[in-house]
Amino acid sequence: MKKLLLIFFVATVAVSCVDDLNTKPEIDLTLEELLKQDPNAVNGILSRLYGSFALSGADGPGSSDIDDDAGESPFLRGIVNLQDFTADGLKNRWGDDGLDQLTTATNWDENNKFFRYMYNRIYYTIPQANNLINVLGGVEVDNKSQVEGEVRFLRALAYYYLIDCFGKGVLATEENFGQSTPLPEVTRTELYNYVESELLAVEGLLPDTNTYGRADKAAAQFLLARLYMNAEVYTGTAQYSNALSYAEKVITGSGHTLAPEFLQNFSGDNHTSPEVIFPLIADADVSQSYGNTTYIVNGSLSGETMTLSDYGATDGWGGHRASKGWYGLFAADAAGLAASSDKRAHLFWTGGHAYEMESYKKWTDGFPSIKFRNSAFNNPSGTNTSFSSTDFPLFRLADAYLMYAEAQVRGGGGSAATALQYVNDVRVRAGATAITAGELTADFILDERGRELNFEGVRRSDLIRNGKFTGSSYLWPWKGNNLNGTSIPDHYKLFPIPQRSLEANPNLTQNTGY
Amino acid sequence: MKKQIQNAVFCLLFLTSLGLYAQQTISGVVTDGSGSPLPAVNVVVKGTSNGVSTDFDGNYTITAANGQVLVFSSIGFETQEANIAGATLNITLVESASELDEVVVIGYGTTTVKDATGSVTSITAEDFNQGAIVSSDQLLTGKVAGVVITNSGGAPDAAPNIRIRGGASLSAENSPLIVIDGIPLDVVTPAGVGNPLSLINPNDIASFSILKDASATAIYGSRASNGVILITTKKGTLGETKYNLSMSTSLSEVSEKLELMDGPTFERFINEYHPTYANLLGVNGEMYNTDWQDAVFRDSHSSIVNFSVAGNIEEKTPYRFSLGHTNTEGLVKTNDYERLSTTFRINPSFFDDKLKVDLNAKAFYVDKNAIDEGGVLGNIVSMDPTKPIYDDNSVFGGYFQGTRQDGGQTVLDGTWNPLAMLMQRQRPEKLLRILTNVELDYSLPFVDGLRAVVNLGLEKSDADIRETFSQDAIATYKVGRFNPGENYREEQSITNKTLEGYLAYAKDFDGLLQSLDAQAGYSYQNFRNEGTKDLFRYNETTGAREVLINENNPTNRYYSDLNLQSFFGRTNLNIAGKYLVTLSIRADASSLFAKNNRWGVFPAAAVAWRLSDEAFIENLNVFDNLKLRAGWGETGQSNISGAVGYYPSYPFFQIGSATSKYLPGENLYNATMFNPNLTWEKTTTLNAGIDFGIFNGVLSGSFDVFKRDTNDLLANAPVPPGQAPASSFIDNIGSTESEGFELSLDVQALNNENTVLNIFANGAYAKTTITDLEGIQQVGAGGTLPIGTGTFLLRHALNQQAGAAWVFRQMYNEAGEPVYNAFADLNQDGKITNDDRYLRPMRPNYTFGFGFNFSYKQLSLRSSFRGQYGGQIYNARRLTSGFIQRPIPVNTQALSNVLDFYSGAANPIIYDQIGNVALSDYFLEDASFIRCENITLGYAFEPLTNGTQIQASLTVNNAFLITKYSGQDPENFGGIDNEFYPRPRVFTLGLNFDF
Repeated sequence: MKKLLLIFFVATVAVSCVDDLNTKPEIDLTLEELLKQDPNAVNGILSRLYGSFALSGADGPGSSDIDDDAGESPFLRGIVNLQDFTADGLKNRWGDDGLDQLTTATNWDENNKFFRYMYNRIYYTIPQANNLINVLGGVEVDNKSQVEGEVRFLRALAYYYLIDCFGKGVLATEENFGQSTPLPEVTRTELYNYVESELLAVEGLLPDTNTYGRADKAAAQFLLARLYMNAEVYTGTAQYSNALSYAEKVITGSGHTLAPEFLQNFSGDNHTSPEVIFPLIADADVSQSYGNTTYIVNGSLSGETMTLSDYGATDGWGGHRASKGWYGLFAADAAGLAASSDKRAHLFWTGGHAYEMESYKKWTDGFPSIKFRNSAFNNPSGTNTSFSSTDFPLFRLADAYLMYAEAQVRGGGGSAATALQYVNDVRVRAGATAITAGELTADFILDERGRELNFEGVRRSDLIRNGKFTGSSYLWPWKGNNLNGTSIPDHYKLFPIPQRSLEANPNLTQNTGY
Repeated sequence: MKKQIQNAVFCLLFLTSLGLYAQQTISGVVTDGSGSPLPAVNVVVKGTSNGVSTDFDGNYTITAANGQVLVFSSIGFETQEANIAGATLNITLVESASELDEVVVIGYGTTTVKDATGSVTSITAEDFNQGAIVSSDQLLTGKVAGVVITNSGGAPDAAPNIRIRGGASLSAENSPLIVIDGIPLDVVTPAGVGNPLSLINPNDIASFSILKDASATAIYGSRASNGVILITTKKGTLGETKYNLSMSTSLSEVSEKLELMDGPTFERFINEYHPTYANLLGVNGEMYNTDWQDAVFRDSHSSIVNFSVAGNIEEKTPYRFSLGHTNTEGLVKTNDYERLSTTFRINPSFFDDKLKVDLNAKAFYVDKNAIDEGGVLGNIVSMDPTKPIYDDNSVFGGYFQGTRQDGGQTVLDGTWNPLAMLMQRQRPEKLLRILTNVELDYSLPFVDGLRAVVNLGLEKSDADIRETFSQDAIATYKVGRFNPGENYREEQSITNKTLEGYLAYAKDFDGLLQSLDAQAGYSYQNFRNEGTKDLFRYNETTGAREVLINENNPTNRYYSDLNLQSFFGRTNLNIAGKYLVTLSIRADASSLFAKNNRWGVFPAAAVAWRLSDEAFIENLNVFDNLKLRAGWGETGQSNISGAVGYYPSYPFFQIGSATSKYLPGENLYNATMFNPNLTWEKTTTLNAGIDFGIFNGVLSGSFDVFKRDTNDLLANAPVPPGQAPASSFIDNIGSTESEGFELSLDVQALNNENTVLNIFANGAYAKTTITDLEGIQQVGAGGTLPIGTGTFLLRHALNQQAGAAWVFRQMYNEAGEPVYNAFADLNQDGKITNDDRYLRPMRPNYTFGFGFNFSYKQLSLRSSFRGQYGGQIYNARRLTSGFIQRPIPVNTQALSNVLDFYSGAANPIIYDQIGNVALSDYFLEDASFIRCENITLGYAFEPLTNGTQIQASLTVNNAFLITKYSGQDPENFGGIDNEFYPRPRVFTLGLNFDF
């Protein structure tokens, strides 16, 4: 009897316990629980998707969405590293493995972690977007089509960087989300066509204006303009007239205007700038990341030669300096910079630094850029912070002005007078002298873009579009790991596909030359 | 105190003597030293042929006259005589010298050395390491072939990092399962606890059983792939009540300091190499000479006191009670550790001993002051030695601290004063832990030899961590103001429940099958870990510390729940007394996996052939023991919570933290990665072994070889890009293959009346190679180098040992000096890229231990040594502090100290640390070493007239280290030597009283 009781006891316990194997977290929530707790949960998921371009993770600046260093791998940091340090105007001195190779444009290979960071970031944002599109299919939300438009815009933005940096990859959409068999590789043209069609579709879904930080029509139009601008590089077929017409839509239809002062776009209060079309938000208190503008601001400061509080910062990482590839566009020495009427020429710290970058590893060789800063434009002596509150102007109107002008010069139609006017608007705003129609050439626009847009994540693409990135037609300090610059191979127009990704999807192939 | 104990002894003796006057039928129970009943013991009335045997539960009944003497004898035990002085006579037999009959705990039962079929090593008190033993793992270090215990450093609570036969997993846990008195321990340790094995008083441990091969471990199925360590605590006795008081006091010193520059040397160095920075030396031109290592380290004292009573209530119910107090000072100032422990164990029996109860309760209280180990140990290296420790004018509580002016504001500059960091921060980490279990063992009626056993366990831990800063603390100085008070708070509660029930059947037969025992049962374990944290941050404007509130989770609560359930069965067969067979099977389910992939089945089988019982071997008259063993088994692994948390198989949304918002005014919800296909990692082990003893115990030992294949490795693997919201995640990919052998030898070199010399040695070889990564060549394996960010040394690569260093080959000139920043172009493509890196295995393949026990009359001398042959260590100190450019201020106006270039501690050819320099194999050094773990000189005094036995001992732990490594200590679990907490050399005086 006792035995039976015991067996019964054990058996009862065993059966009743099997359910305990279905453990559930109490902090994390299922979608249903989340929607029950917060009816606006979709906005929170959307916020996460926008944030994937600036934040490293959802759990503070030390957390990482991808299994790479939280500080080093955020999307925006990758844009700056890959677009600006590989090009003529900016160099970094830290000498971390992989960063030297970017800064000197040499010895690129499939194991360089910085290429991997960018690739992983692109392919982190895309499936998050696909997931959210699927989530949207099953829930009731206001403005569902607008939200879907925003999600598709963000996905297209991530794909844009895949096209620009790596030239090929898989086409992951909401339809194949969750599929475990590796997707096939698609070409640059296929990706281009996809992004173009997506942007054209979402242009109609997006609102004329949106709350700050979220994409509106102009954001999609701007990205289309940038895509068309570089279409010849991406597909072999130029699309300058499309580029011009979408730049024009942004300029004339979006309501954005040039900020009265250039510096308003790069200061702690730049969310008030009328010029910024699409920002990547940073906030020293609630939106912290080592890969948003914190990277640009702190990375360009050092207590060794500068006063951090002049720029609203408490931390200087002593890493980035401009080279004469940038400030040489203004003047041939520090005195010339100081004397320039162009206010953009004043945004370099020259005290204690040498004009020539004899060694890119020496902090005092080359002038740090002080274009970006934490201090507010309207109240520059305010708070000093260790993280930046300055938003990154990923798309801004001056770029659209210069795109219009370049597309016009390259035969995209439009009006030459308007083109000249736009270029001079940009110049005169900064205090530079207006140019004449005869001076408006593609080369001049490239230089003007350098003066205006360096450190804004477009320089490498600009040089490639102008045929000046690879080869020896244009040299800059430390190009090809040579003080005066030397030729770099043509296949450097694309970055190598990271080794890990090639292994994870056997359908992927390496770019030619690597 | 002593007098009271004597009184207590007297009282107990008096009480026991009350019941001594019956005669005729005498009955009792015969047990072994651990309190287990002994069947088949011959009980004979001395001088007569009147005799009986004990039954399966050790009971006997015999008729005899008062005053006669009973003789108890059994193979493997010392024959014992006892006067009849009552109706009950319980006897505890002492095991005889023959180790073959030693009881070995094997999980859900016991066996003997003779009958064991698997690779099982039993370590009992006499084999334990001696000296200042704070945590249980220290008892074992170096004692068992193939078991490597590498503590993470010299801190009192340093994690032990135990590996049995190396590790087979890549991203899952590689530590063995630890089972204390039948209760498998949690996979996580409570907050603030570095070493889970410090939570049991070493003095309460009776024995360890180490199960190494799968045929032995498979009964623990899913958690057993890394081997199992079974810990059995001491029990009460049925004999005389025994009291034990042991006390020890220790003095510890730093065994090896870093060779840094002192003040004058640093001055010389700066003037020679960096004269433009000489103005930064000293304070206002005044030079000091501070040894920052001496400033922070101390000669530390420790004391251990243990008291225990082992006895019984009315000769029927054994109990044991113990009380222990350990007070250990770490070598680093303020790093104090105090532990109070108490245990109570009682083994009553009911219903004519049909129901045996084992009630076991252990409670611990730990109070530790945790230090900022990385910060302090890093800063003693980089802090400029020409700066003083104290500064009368300092606003930082009188400690010197570098500052600079920035925009009219005084800001901290340079390295923080490491002594101030210690003295200005308090971080008590307190833990109360109660571990209880009750085991009911019921001999069922109707079926002879059938028992039902139920074991219920409950573990409760409450941890409380509170970090505060004192007035004027450097660490709290922000924007011109100090913020004394609380800086961090965590309260954690762990509740673990275990329920195990099984039926056990044992029967002896006549005929070919001589005996059979079998167990079948069910196991349930649930681990719940929850807690809250107070987080703070500094307001960047005001400099004030503020509570960081995440309105979605205001208390920063965390919670995890892990559930494991299993069914298991095992049978042991003894065929013809010579052939032993063990078969076992276990089915496990884990809540970590989705429903469809939850269950894993793990079978095992082993056979043993007792050759020494075969006539043709017996006739040789050489072997006392000769046994061949062979085993095969599958075990599982699921412990991935460290890598991916507790809910990796289902989709969830995580609420973003207060600092990870994005769109203004919106919460942030993050879809977490999951893998619904996750399932058990499976390991198949083949083991063959031989146990031997020759020439009457002069030489004995065992030799095992094993081959282990692990498939469906739980490894962090890259996901196909774009197809999941992560760049990598845990998946079941790939395989590893391990092979190795272990040899243990024991030599009784001398054994006569006055002199005993016993020499032991063990050696092991283990190598794990990655054989498949499903098309992937390499995955990262961590190994962060302390330079810049994201520079990792280690890779798991195909056809290589796990965790190999991926490095460039350093170029050397004809004089043998390294050429700065020059590496071999291995693929000869004219450029140095990652393609020129090669993989060098880091982990040692050979480990060994040896020692001796010598005694002459009452004097004893024991020593044990251990070490490793091969393996690499990365000298990260040379990386961070061994290059000429190091002292130059980076973003500060302060200099950093360096290793002494003049004494050869660093090479001045290494000019800077940039690009690939950190990945040079120049920094890899041979990590072979021999360490003298302990030397103990003991003396056992003549027993006092009241029977009290006193032993005194003097022990030196970590007496010396033999190595070619140029750094501090080559024994490093992670393989990267940086910010190392030095292992102390400890001198201990111990006194032990038994009465």
